Amino acid sequence: MLRYAITRILGAIPTLLIIITLSFLLLHAAPGGPFDAEKNIPPAIKANIERMYHLNEPLYKQYLRYLVSIARGDFGPSYQYRDTTVNEIIREGFPIDALIGGLAIGLALLVGVPIGIVAALRRNTVLDYLPMGLSMIGISLPVFVVAPILILIFAVNLHWLPAGGWVSKSPTHVILPAAALAAPYIAYVARLMRGSMVEVLNSPFILMARAKGIPPRLVILRHAIKPALMPLVSFLGPAIAGVITGSIVIETIFGLPGIGRAFVDGALNRDYTLVLGVTILYGALIVAFNLAADLSYSVLDPRVRY
Amino acid sequence: MSGIGIRTQLCTPTPASGRSSKFGFSLLAVLLLFLTACANQQQFAVTSAQTISVSSALAADQVLNRHLEAEPRSLDPSLGTAVVDELILEDLFEGLVTVAEDGSTIPGTASSWETSADGKTWTFHIRKDARWSNGAPVTADDFVYAWRRQVDPMTGSQYSQALAPIVNAMDIASGNMPVDKLGVESTGPATLIVHLNAPTPYLLGLLTNMYLLPIYAPAVKQWGNAWTQPGHMISNGAFTLADRVINGHITLLKNPDYWDAEHVHLTKVNYLVVSDFNAAINQYLSGDLDLTDRVPADVKERLQMMLGDQVVISPEFASTYFSFNMTKPPFAGNTKLRQALNIAVDRDVFCKYVRRGIETPAYGIMPPLPGYDPYIPEWAKLSTDDRHALARKLYHEAGYSDRHPLETVLTYPSGGADIRQMMEALSAMWLVNLGAKVQIYNVEFKVLLEMREQKLPVLYWDAWFGDFPDPFTFMQLFQTGNGMNAGAYSNPQYDALIDQASRTNDQAVRFQLFRQAEAILADDTPTVPVYSWASTHLIKPYLKGWKSNVMDRCLSQYMYILAHKES
Repeated sequence: MLRYAITRILGAIPTLLIIITLSFLLLHAAPGGPFDAEKNIPPAIKANIERMYHLNEPLYKQYLRYLVSIARGDFGPSYQYRDTTVNEIIREGFPIDALIGGLAIGLALLVGVPIGIVAALRRNTVLDYLPMGLSMIGISLPVFVVAPILILIFAVNLHWLPAGGWVSKSPTHVILPAAALAAPYIAYVARLMRGSMVEVLNSPFILMARAKGIPPRLVILRHAIKPALMPLVSFLGPAIAGVITGSIVIETIFGLPGIGRAFVDGALNRDYTLVLGVTILYGALIVAFNLAADLSYSVLDPRVRY
Repeated sequence: MSGIGIRTQLCTPTPASGRSSKFGFSLLAVLLLFLTACANQQQFAVTSAQTISVSSALAADQVLNRHLEAEPRSLDPSLGTAVVDELILEDLFEGLVTVAEDGSTIPGTASSWETSADGKTWTFHIRKDARWSNGAPVTADDFVYAWRRQVDPMTGSQYSQALAPIVNAMDIASGNMPVDKLGVESTGPATLIVHLNAPTPYLLGLLTNMYLLPIYAPAVKQWGNAWTQPGHMISNGAFTLADRVINGHITLLKNPDYWDAEHVHLTKVNYLVVSDFNAAINQYLSGDLDLTDRVPADVKERLQMMLGDQVVISPEFASTYFSFNMTKPPFAGNTKLRQALNIAVDRDVFCKYVRRGIETPAYGIMPPLPGYDPYIPEWAKLSTDDRHALARKLYHEAGYSDRHPLETVLTYPSGGADIRQMMEALSAMWLVNLGAKVQIYNVEFKVLLEMREQKLPVLYWDAWFGDFPDPFTFMQLFQTGNGMNAGAYSNPQYDALIDQASRTNDQAVRFQLFRQAEAILADDTPTVPVYSWASTHLIKPYLKGWKSNVMDRCLSQYMYILAHKES
């Protein structure tokens, strides 16, 4: 297994390199530069600024310079937020996204998995139809609908929780964003869990266990749940990577200082280094979580061995 | 970014989804329709207005939560470029002169000044009690340092051209002269002498800009670029920097060393960065914000119904207009066509229905400015029918007709429903009033900037916000070769008038010259001016010390909070 993990990690390096190269080229190909503004800058002054950021050099030189810099762990200065570096923006923003995303995924698992199991066990009863019907709403309703409704109820009308912001850094600021972000995941996890549970319950080894006279509760707890988690795990790998690198919609609606917003603003403002930095982080996390998911298969399913 | 990822994952049908019953589905469909209808109607929450009882006594807690519509690019006065940068910087720093509550220019760090007879040398006297937030006195050298740094090519300032009226500024910024040749010097710690290329009557207005604020050199020397971070920054304004989270908030605390600290009531100002206007309205309604910037036109009426005079609208020194590309057909060399398009726009209808009465119709490039009487073209006084007839006559004389209509493209920056509605209305007016087929085409803002520079679009959206309350800030836009003159308009007569106005010190004569220049512009029609801006804010009834002004600048140091109770 260790060997497998090492091979996969080494294999990730060319993947990341391709991501970096493509993003770098696409960004530089987009029209408009980081220092274009309504107020036109005299050419001599613009040339000065570009020289400061090495934007006057040929593209391959900029690319090599960038590779050397990220190899040293330095994502460079932000072009848009000129007092700060990309490392600082990620260091400040990422923990907030990770917290809210982590809470949302945790909530999704805590609520979604039991609902899915119960629905699978009580198939075609109200315990199946009601949660599965509600989960259809959860999946269909976009976050930009759920979040304002939550704000309307809990912030504007009841005044229980803040409508957004991060000023006091108190835990009350994360409750609504985490809940809004979790809603579709709860629904998705519940449906996924129900589907795979139904499939597992129909498989021969469960029939075998039942035939042996093992009590139904033990059949489910000991034999059915573990393999039924497999599809969930493969879903969770990329989902966690996606959710903890920030949801631009959630961050915008709640005015949260995460990297998702920085990424989009960065793209619109041609902040090359900021966009690249977040892309690399996102790519690395996806690789890492996919690997974690693959490794956990061997724990969950006795048929999988690395 | 991950929003897209989530949505694609959710679109993948799950194996179980086919099993949900028909009953469940129809119930869901109804619920969904209801919920999405709610969401489409009002992206912000509509609620019955809370009654807030306000007393006349000061609140014990003098903390202001202020809206910031974007993250500042920099808190370094030399590197800032945006309106939001200036909003924070004018709370943190104080220039030679500053902005009064009503927006006028009043003495700041300089208590007095005098001008030489030719108007080209200004001497400023720094007040004795001006202090940095570490207690050090503010000296004339702090200004010399800051201004030299501003034009120093090594600083990488984007707007060093703001200092253009100062002797040698542009030569230094272009790297052709050493920085110490800048026309500014100190004779003693309290005397600053500024040498100008020409008498610059708008100099005081210019001096309120962030580019001309003083900087504490030892802080920059100690921390380098990181001098603007909380804990490092030394400032001389009413507030000091306490906390900053990029895209989150900026917290300022009252500066006890500020020379006029006894008149500053607020102890703390939280600027919350909320880029989505509906989110800002929600935060205002929930009480997380006391003051917001900009209300989208489509929600203005509903907010007024809910909040009454908490919605504050007032004229702003800015214009929206549509520029013709003067280098390309069909508009190059076809004055009558440009005039026809300009005259055919029903500005009253546009402002009343599309912009919901927020802004005022504009017939020239200059927005209203107290004391300046703008030029209004004759056709603006015609009845709607006569005006349309005139526009059609010019359109036909320009060589176009119903059988051979004008077909062209109007390029505008992406920016939500507000701007798209405006473009659609404009295009419809040209179609109905003239028969001209103007397609609308939106691109990212940065793309429009590059297209403009390459002179690609033939007709495009444009807007300008005056840097200082003087017509020159608008009139310079159409001088031959000006960096902002992207449409490449050129008229030597116009240039001569503007040059003459910038050499004159007599305000009445200058304004007369600007008016004449406006008349030339109206005739040549390099643009279609549509409306002058208005600032829109939501202001809680307990927040006092706010006065609307055309520059839409209101320093936190004048504001205070009255005791209040929400019920």
